[in-house]
Formats: sequence, structure tokens, C-alpha cells
Amino acid sequence: MSFFGFDTSLPGTGKSKDENPASEGKKPLDFEETYRGFGDYEEEDYLNEETFGANAELGTDFDFGHGNGSATSQGTSSGQGSVAPGSYITSNRSYVAAARQGDSQPLEPSVDLKPMESLWSGGAPQLQQQQPPPPQKVTETLSMEELERQQRQRQQMAAQQGFVVPPPGYVGPQTFMQQPSPPPQANMYPPSFAAGGLPPQFPMMYQQGQSPAYPPSQEVQQQAAAAQAAQVQARVQAQAQAQAQAQAQAQAQAAQAQAQTQAQAVQAQSVQQAQGPQFPQPLASPGDPVPAQIQVPGPGAAVSPRARFSSPQFGPQHLQRSRAPVRKDPLTAEEQKRLQVRQAKVERILKHSGLMTPRDKDFITRYQLSQIVTEDPYNEDFYFQVYKIIQYGGVLGESNKDLIARAYLEHSGHRLGGRYKRADVALQRMQSQVEKAVTVAKERPQKNRDHVDTSRDGVLGKISSAMNSKAPRKQLQIPAPKSENAESAVMDDVSSPSTSNASKSSTPALDVVTDSLENVEISQRSRARRRSSYAFSSVDQSSVLSRSGGRKFVLSLIETVYGVVLELEEQLRSGRQIDNSALWDALHIGDESYDVCPFISMLSFDKGIKIMPRIFNFLDKSQKLKLLQTFFDELSHLNIIIISSYKTNDSPTESQLKKIDLFQSIFLKIIVSFLSNSANFIEIMGLLLYLIKNNNVSFISTSKIGLNLITVLISRAALIKQDINRSNVLSSPEISAWNGVYDKLFTSLETKLSMVFPPKEYMDKVVSSGSRPSTAVSSPSINSTIQSYDQAYIWQFLASLALSGKLNHQRIIIDEVRDEIFGTINAAEQLGSTEQDQNVSMYKREKLYQDLNLFLNVMGLVARDKEITELK
Amino acid sequence: MLFFSFFKTLVDQEVVVELKNDIELKGTLKSVDQFLNLKLDNISCTDQTKYPHLGSVRNIFIRGSTVRYVYLNKNMVDINLLQDAARREAMTEKK
Repeated sequence: MSFFGFDTSLPGTGKSKDENPASEGKKPLDFEETYRGFGDYEEEDYLNEETFGANAELGTDFDFGHGNGSATSQGTSSGQGSVAPGSYITSNRSYVAAARQGDSQPLEPSVDLKPMESLWSGGAPQLQQQQPPPPQKVTETLSMEELERQQRQRQQMAAQQGFVVPPPGYVGPQTFMQQPSPPPQANMYPPSFAAGGLPPQFPMMYQQGQSPAYPPSQEVQQQAAAAQAAQVQARVQAQAQAQAQAQAQAQAQAAQAQAQTQAQAVQAQSVQQAQGPQFPQPLASPGDPVPAQIQVPGPGAAVSPRARFSSPQFGPQHLQRSRAPVRKDPLTAEEQKRLQVRQAKVERILKHSGLMTPRDKDFITRYQLSQIVTEDPYNEDFYFQVYKIIQYGGVLGESNKDLIARAYLEHSGHRLGGRYKRADVALQRMQSQVEKAVTVAKERPQKNRDHVDTSRDGVLGKISSAMNSKAPRKQLQIPAPKSENAESAVMDDVSSPSTSNASKSSTPALDVVTDSLENVEISQRSRARRRSSYAFSSVDQSSVLSRSGGRKFVLSLIETVYGVVLELEEQLRSGRQIDNSALWDALHIGDESYDVCPFISMLSFDKGIKIMPRIFNFLDKSQKLKLLQTFFDELSHLNIIIISSYKTNDSPTESQLKKIDLFQSIFLKIIVSFLSNSANFIEIMGLLLYLIKNNNVSFISTSKIGLNLITVLISRAALIKQDINRSNVLSSPEISAWNGVYDKLFTSLETKLSMVFPPKEYMDKVVSSGSRPSTAVSSPSINSTIQSYDQAYIWQFLASLALSGKLNHQRIIIDEVRDEIFGTINAAEQLGSTEQDQNVSMYKREKLYQDLNLFLNVMGLVARDKEITELK
Repeated sequence: MLFFSFFKTLVDQEVVVELKNDIELKGTLKSVDQFLNLKLDNISCTDQTKYPHLGSVRNIFIRGSTVRYVYLNKNMVDINLLQDAARREAMTEKK
């Protein structure tokens, strides 16, 4: 029936008569119970066992994982588990009996299971590798020491148990004769265990865990020993069917024979302990407890720790736990627990140990690193690099690779430096890895072209160049040509050139469009358009935007400027020559093709304002001057003026107020610093002239920002004039020019000076919407009471206006704002009487007087306690 | 690369990670890789009663693809710099 003429009787047949008192015992073959008519099939399919295992049941009960699950589970789960194992305790049986028993069903599953397990567990390759080589050859590879150790262990064990230890060659038979010789590697478990005949899995595995170097050699030895036990081989072969390879068969059988013998020994012991009912059947395997046991000490030991541990069903933990209560006598509870904890630890460590060689690890590390490192970390890792510099003041590019190495070392868990705790060595290694990774990264572009990298796809996870962390999949796909069309369509002013451009639509549309726009002659409305009725035609921001190319155009222009600035900044960092012509072009200063200069419209957006300081870094003085000239020239179009004027925007929203603040803190600051640092008197005069000439000054003066701007100009001019007056270098034409400019300014403001004061409702609105966010931040008690419209900027303006003017100018100013002066004084005095909080009212009062005196002091006056007196 | 670069600056900062299965974990970010896998230390689960099994976990490795949100403290981010970095990224993509 079987391949080698073995007795491959069906499950149950091997159960010996004498040790099976309970049920099937004493019946070598209970035909009625075991025979299911499968013999009919087997007549023809005599290789079935080779293929499916000796006790694979034919029929509808397809239990692939556990060959004879149903047959034996009946017996064991019905409380007869103690009996079934008991059948192996014959100590005086003949070889034949042992052999017969050897193929008795409880053991077979182990053999069957092993290949199954190897299929699914990580240990599979090892298992197969270990078995093929001929045993003789393997034996040679053993060192003398190992052999000796092996023998010593056996002797020790046997001696403890009072058995004579035969030479390794007889291991197989010996165990078959039911001498409870434990597996060799179990030599160190406490004598009490051995004496008590306890199955030694527990300490055994523990030991294996401790000395990971052990198992392979032992296993080899076992195989060798088993191979020498030639008699057994023949019997065992029947169970080795799963190892279908013909040439490997002998070895496989040998290994399994060994496994079997050990299992038998173990089982015998366990049965002697009469612990049958507590057997871990349910945990160990669905049907049969015995295979589980075998799995652990026998082939498990022979294979590799991993193979064992990775099998969930036969995991030692399960066995351990389920068996723990049984062992109470030899071990105290704490000891047990400690051992368990320790063992669990070892298991955890061993679980995946040795999966990869250091070379493998290096390889993986290198590939992972190559995704991280780049030739140009500053460029591709911009945020991190700059953030680090900003936060910690690090030096740019400072051993970036070292940092990566260190970081990677940390999170790859290598930092301990392995066995010898050589952290420095580990770091060095990692550094060299990073070096190599950089090389790989450098080579990557070429490789991508050749699609070499794709061959590694799936091996190391997804490393395709098309879609990686650098170029993630886009959630939003915007077809590029369409957007270009949209952009050009927006530019209503110049439809013809833009359409011609859109037809090209190959390059980044914007640059081309803007470039060509510069060359386009626009005569239609170019000059005539200018400044007829500014103030109120400019109120609508969208109209302003559309007159400067459209909202989209302006926004994309800002982005272009950002791009150029970023490039320039990079040039600056790398110390290259800076060429700001692209930036200047992008700003469209002096570009006459738009009604409103795009630059002015750029200032309508927060991000346009924010980029200004960085733009100024790259402009030379004449460019700055030109820019400011344009700015003052078209001030009326400035969105910020419009929203900060009470005339055009009588109820500013919170966001608008924020915008005003932003503009003041950024752009006004730039202007002030430019005026005070680099502009000379004539230039300032020129700027003022631009402002007066082309704008509705009285409208601008109704806005806070506008008033601030005028103040900045005239006060700076006045300061320079004073300085120069002292040194007498100001030529008379300059002075007369200044007087002319001033007169013009004054004339445009005359009779409207009181309009610089916003109406009370406006001030209240600003205060209420402006104070809302601030109350949340600072203590509300002070804030809510102190809040009042800050008129300081108005008094500053009047002061600087008066400072530059002559006496008659000052007189006119006072005449016009007389109401406001006395109104302020009255308000200040009222504060003292009505306010509850003395401190607050005092502060407010002081503030009002201070602001007022800014102006009055210029004319040698001072307001104090309801009275205006001469300044002493 | 931008997000990787960004998250690298958050290393050793405390973040709250919300996973796609609604678990929220607060912990110190220990490391991040190019797949935005995260390693958190000293984690605490915001909904301890719902996920008691996380109570005994101290550190955790999170596969990047399972992350829904990472909540950050506002002042951990340099917004202007991030804007610049995003623009640079966009520029290099265009090229």
C-alpha cells in the first residue's frame, strides 16, 4: 500500500492494546470504528499518503490543517485524552511495537503539520534548506565541541532520570523504547522536573531562547543522529509524505523520526503525570493535543525558534499557559510567573531575530535613506532646513548627512550599537550608509529613465519614481491649458494679444502673456483714461482690479513675484550674482498697458503686502524710488486707502481693520525707512508732488493710511529742511520748490481740513469692531473702558502740516480745526467728571491732551486743564 | 517632500493624531519617514473608555496611510516659511 512497504494503517490502528484501557484500547484495529470505506479508494490511490499524509481522511470532512482532527478529537475531547497518550508508555516494547506506534495517529499530525506550518510560517525556507543536505555531510560540519556538548547533555539528562544513555546513534531507538529521554537541549531544566518526569518544554524553550546560536547545530545533530537510527527511518517514512521531494526524503524522514521520538518521550512523561484532562487540547490544536506537544519540543527545536513561535496554534505561550497550573508542585507561583515573563520577553526578541542579515538591513536602510536624502537638501527639504536655522540658529547645510544618520539610527533601533554597545561604530556605519544613499539618490534620475528601479518595486514597498513621497498622487487634477485660457480671458483689457498667447499655450502662460503685454501698444485709453474722477470711481475694488488686469491676473502676478523673490533669495544664499531684472519686470512698475498699475493692485492682497519687504531687499535705490513714485502716483486706487477712508467705507469690518494694520506695520514701515535712510530732499519732494498732482488729496486725507502717508512725507521733508537750514546747504531753488509743493498741497487741503476727522459714528464703529478681538486677548476691564478712537495720527498730520507751513498756514489750520481742538479739550474734561475709574479716565485725558498738544506745540501753544496757553 | 520636511520639524513635539478609525492619540512625535509613518512616544488615548486596550501602550508606530489628521499646536508652525516652502515646491513641480 505504501511507497516503501510500510504499514500505513489507518488512524487508530496503531493504538496498542495494553495501554489503551478505556475505549479503543486492546483493539489493534477496531474495524467498525475506524474503517470508513476509504480503503476502496486507497487501493487505487496508493500515493495518497505521500500527498496528503498518512491519516488524511478521505471523505467530506476536509480538515486540511490538522489531518486527523475529527478522528482523535472524539477520543480526547470526550475525556479520554489521558488514555490516548497513555498508549505509548510501554517501556518494553519491541521495535516493531514502537514502530507501529510511531505511525499511530496522534503522532502523525505532527509530521503532517510540519510542512503545513512551514508553508505558512516564516521558517519555511529554513526548514527546507535544512533537510536536503545529506546527514553525513551535516555531521561533518559539527565541531567537536558541539558533539561533546550534545553528548554531555544527554548523559546528564539520562543520569538524572536513572537511565542509561546510549550514544547518539541510538537516540531514535532508545526513545522509541519509551525511555523518557528528553530532547538534548533540555539539559538544563531543574532536576525536579526531570525526576518528576514532567515534559520539559517549558525550560527547554526558555533555554533555546537564551542561546539562539544553539538550535541550528543541535538540530543538525539531531538529524544526524536520527539518520543513524536507520531502523526507524523506514517506519517513519510513512509520515513523511508531505516532504514530497524524492531526494530529500531520507533526510526529512530522519528529522521527523527524531521529532517523533522526542515527542513520544515527552508524551510518555506527561501521561505518567496523569495530567491528561488538563492537556491543552483546545488551545494547542483543534483536535489533538499530542501534535501540539510534539510541535514544541521536537521538530520545533529542530527547525528554528522562529518557525515554532510563528505558529499561532502551537505557540508555546498557549501551551505554557494552559499547563501552568499543572506544575504548581515543582514551581512556586512567582517563579512561574517570572519565568513566564522572561520567556515572553525572549520570545518577543527571538520572534523575528535573524530574519535579516546585517547586509540585508543595510540594503534596506540604504534604500530607505535614498528616499530621504538628496543632493540638495536645502532645496528639497527647505522647510525643515530653514525652520531649524530659524529656531535653533543652526548653520546652513551643516553636516546634514550626519543629522540624517543620527536620526535614522535612532528610529531604526540601532543606536545601542549591538552586542558591544558601540554606538559610535553604529553611527559610523549609518553615516556611511547615508553616504551611499546619497550616491544612490544621485543615480536615481538615470535609473528612473531606464526603469531599473521598478524592478525593486514591491520588494521594498512602493518606491516607484512616478509616485512617491516627492510626487504624491494629486487629489485634484487641474488641466493646465484650461487654466491658461481662463487667465487670458480675464485680461479683458488686451484681448487680442492674450488670445494669440492662449493659442500657443505651451509655456507658463503668465510670463509670456505679461511679457507680450509690455510690448503691446495701447493707445485707446492709455493716457486719456487718467485720473478724472478718482476717488469714487475707485471705490469698487473689483473695478480697480479689472483695470489692472483682473483679479486672477493680479493674484498670479503676486505668485510670480513670490517665485522670483524666492529664486533671488536662493541666489543670495548661495552667494551667486543677483539679477533682479525678472523681479522688476514682474512688478510692472511703469507699465502703461493697464489703467491701474498692477503693482497697486498687488497691494490689495495681504500676501502682496507681505512680500513687499522682501521685494525691497532686492531693489536698488532708483528702483525703489520709481516704485514709490508709482505708488504715490496712483494712491487713490489703492484699495487700502479706500477701505480706510470713512467716506468710502463708513463701517469697516474687522478683517478690513486688520488689513489696515497689516499695511501700516509692513508697507508704511518700508516707506518710512526708505525716506529716512536713503531719500534726499528732492526725492521726497518729488514723491509729494506725485501725490498731489495725480490724486484727490482731500479724499486721501479722509483715510487713515492716506493721512499717514502724507504725514510721513511732509514731516520727513520738514526734518531734512530743518537739518539743512542749520547747515545752510539748501539752495534757494530747492526751498522755493518745496514752498511751491507745500502750497499746492495746502491749497488742495484748504477748507477741507476738518474733514480729516472722521465722524463720530465712524469712530465708534471702528472702536467697536476693533476692540472685539482685543478684549478676548487682554484683560477686558481695562480694554473696554480705555477703547476710544485714536486720533493721534490726525494730530500728527496737522502738526507736521503746521510745522512746514508759514504762520498764515498755521492760522488757517487752527481756524479750520478749531472746533475739533475745543471738542477734544471738552471731551478730556468730561472724562474727568463722568468716568468712574480714576486711573482710566486720567489716562484717557492725558492721551487726549498729549495728542492735541502734538499739534499745538508746533505753534508754541499748549493745552492744559481746559486752557490753551503759550508754550513756555 | 514638503510634508515630510514639515513633519520632521515636529519631532519631539506633542501632537494629537487622529486615525481613520477615529482613535485619537496624543503623544510625542519621535520620528517620521517619507511615507509619513509616525512613531509616537508616551501616548495617551483621548477616549480611554472606548479604547481601553491602548491604556497600556506607551509608544506606537502608526502607518502613515491610517492617519486622518494630525493636530498641531499653532506655534509649532512657521506659517510664512511654510508658505515659502509650498511655493518652492510648486515651482519645482512646474519645472
